[in-house]
Amino acid sequence: MTTRTITRGDFADLSRRSACRLLAGAATGLASTALFGGRQAFADETCQSPYMPIITGVEEYVYVWTLGVEGMGDGSDKLVTVDTREGSPTFGKPINSVSVGGRHEAHHGGFTSDRRFFWAGGLDDSKIFVFDVVSNPAKPRLSRTIADFVKASGGAAGPHTFYALPGRMMITALSNDKDHGGRTAMVEYTNRGKYLATHWMPTKESAPKLPGIEFADGYGYDVRALPRKNVMLTSSFTGWSNYMMDFGKMLKDEAAMKRFGQTVVLWNLHTRKPRKVFNVPGSPLEIRWAWGARNNYAFTSTALTSKIWLIYEDDKGEWQAKAVADIGDPSKIPLPVDISLSADDRTLWINSFMDGMTRLFDVGDPHRPKAIYEKNIGRQLNMVSQSWDGKRVYFTSSLLANWDKKGEDNEQFLKAYSWDGKELKERFTLDFNKEKLGRSHIMNFGSKALYVS
Amino acid sequence: MRRQFALLVLGLAFGSVPVWADEADDAALRRALAPPLGLPPLAIPADNPMIAEKIALGRKLFFDRRLSINGTISCAMCHVPEQGYAQNELATPVGIEGRTVRRNAPTVVNAAYGKTLFRDGRAASLEQQALEPLTDPKEMGNPSHDHLIARVRAFPDYAGSFEHVFGRAADITALVQATAAWQRTLLSGDSPFDRWRYGKDGAALSTAAARGFRLFAGKAGCVGCHAIGDDHALFTDHDFHNTGIGAERGRESPADLRVEIAPGTFATVKRKALQAVSEPTKPDLGRFEVTRAPADRWAYKTPGLRNVALTAPYMHDGSMATLVEVVQFYNRGGQSNPGLDARLRPLDLAESEIADLVAFLESLTGANIADLVRDGRSVAIGNP
Repeated sequence: MTTRTITRGDFADLSRRSACRLLAGAATGLASTALFGGRQAFADETCQSPYMPIITGVEEYVYVWTLGVEGMGDGSDKLVTVDTREGSPTFGKPINSVSVGGRHEAHHGGFTSDRRFFWAGGLDDSKIFVFDVVSNPAKPRLSRTIADFVKASGGAAGPHTFYALPGRMMITALSNDKDHGGRTAMVEYTNRGKYLATHWMPTKESAPKLPGIEFADGYGYDVRALPRKNVMLTSSFTGWSNYMMDFGKMLKDEAAMKRFGQTVVLWNLHTRKPRKVFNVPGSPLEIRWAWGARNNYAFTSTALTSKIWLIYEDDKGEWQAKAVADIGDPSKIPLPVDISLSADDRTLWINSFMDGMTRLFDVGDPHRPKAIYEKNIGRQLNMVSQSWDGKRVYFTSSLLANWDKKGEDNEQFLKAYSWDGKELKERFTLDFNKEKLGRSHIMNFGSKALYVS
Repeated sequence: MRRQFALLVLGLAFGSVPVWADEADDAALRRALAPPLGLPPLAIPADNPMIAEKIALGRKLFFDRRLSINGTISCAMCHVPEQGYAQNELATPVGIEGRTVRRNAPTVVNAAYGKTLFRDGRAASLEQQALEPLTDPKEMGNPSHDHLIARVRAFPDYAGSFEHVFGRAADITALVQATAAWQRTLLSGDSPFDRWRYGKDGAALSTAAARGFRLFAGKAGCVGCHAIGDDHALFTDHDFHNTGIGAERGRESPADLRVEIAPGTFATVKRKALQAVSEPTKPDLGRFEVTRAPADRWAYKTPGLRNVALTAPYMHDGSMATLVEVVQFYNRGGQSNPGLDARLRPLDLAESEIADLVAFLESLTGANIADLVRDGRSVAIGNP
């Protein structure tokens, strides 16, 4: 199979041109081959940095950043490689596991802009583990550990999103070293792991004249950029004390429940300065920018209030935020978590933790999303990743070590499905408890083809 | 007392000498030497004299997250300067790897006067108290004091510090003595109430707070446990009482739970869903766990009330968000149970009287709280 790579940035740039021009061959041969050539299909999670290369061909591996469980195996966090090659004798099986030693509250991770290294964070002790995925994509190797994130950043704690910028890694934190609350920052590193800068989330004290500052909470969660508009969005979750706490204990703690983010912040991408604060009550989590050339909007979902929010540029060029749909029955707190926007911007997968449901929304009209499909995936559900062509969808189960369900409800899995536009059909299920691996969290796709010159 | 005074003066002298003691340490030492208005003289243990360098070392240790097994928890993570040296954002603390700590974190301001420490009074000094969280598997999680000390000795930024202050390498005794020395400087008085009662400034207290004081010392009977002296007040009898909060928690069964999911927006978590994500409730029998005396079941130490407006949430389990809730609870006579303290009875307070009592409690905030916050934040947080 011929394999080539282009960057998502290339795609985004190309997508600004008309499809007609592309089809007429006005675009580069490389891009047109990659986009439309032969039987090749794009395969990657659709929701990552536009600066990062994408894979041509079907994903060969899914890397699962997995939380260690006390009493299970070595009890340590690990990066697990699962074989997703159809026809492989180990299809749907773990083929490699790299333990990092100890439990760090493994959570999210992301590739560098050159996609040669995978950075994975520990929300508890703020360690960052950098895996080499280029030497042998089937068997990532722990290349280095950044253990001084808090000290280097000047007090940001709980590294969460690892978002590739050209030559740099932008990391959102969730907390701080002063009180373990939600006030936090974005922290910028080079791809080689050199600390560059800390960008604190705006507060009334730090940015009193910022539009919308009356809503500011200083909290953080996700970060995503729309380079062609020179904007970046951040969302807001909660601090270490809450995300590390037993979920039931927290729900019963009135003081703790008041400590959730209520904001999305619009930033100037180039200057890293905040431009506007939006009031988005109920803890907005994942941010997904649309890919289309004229689609100047992003979605996020609120975990506690169970709504889809649209952040969009209006006719006057001003950025706005509004709730556009409910997710399930918000009165039952389904707790929507991860979301995944299709590459054509037409559909949005939304997982909810408490009821274990995935729901598909038609977001062709982003101002009026409509629920068009739903399926129970398990007793608890968190992450969703889909291939670039939308035909394969993967799910994992763990939210946070102390938020996951207890007893028999504590299913831990990676489940792979095919999606034909009407129905999710199971390809495989990997039981992380049975395999003594731990709690399965974020998934990222890998392929040897990416590194073939 | 004369010996203690001499040691303190000696400490002031040292404070101007080398190493890293500075103005903050001298000011802290002066607070211990001459406590603010309304506080009694401070007793300093003969085996742990106060010197500025020791105060500085103790402050550094208190804010050092490396003192926990994985570098996440310092003493100050549960005793946050800006939150009254308590914890406003949680009912009860969260320890290593998110483990549940059963009881609300009390303020360490004025803890120097405590005849016992911890809510069940199981420690008799700040030095003894400091030993426990370090190795508590729910709190800082160190496998042993020896292991911790071996790590501290290897921290380059502590090189020579213990030797300078104690004349020997770091050991666990020196470590807890240093933290205790700094905590003994966290004294706060000179509140509006102090200026009114002990400073004879008739204008210092609002009329509502003055009415509240009369209720506090009279009709409401609060002073029966939250003692006030002629020359000073700590607002505690240092004793243990059953108010019914503990007994009520012991009977608690999961039910549908109304939670605030955004400011002013509420939703209900069904009992089954709540159980699915809840660890088993940890039992807590209060002072009984120390004495094994049946009369001590669900009895907890009377907290001092100074700066109480800064230390929400309240009660030993942080179950009450506001002072109004607390006063209303006592107005109902506490929570009925077989061991209920005999002093608790319905008070028949009017709403206006409840408001006056709260006004009085809010008058107990010390004048130097901002100084104490600056004191704590004068040291860099220790991080891996």
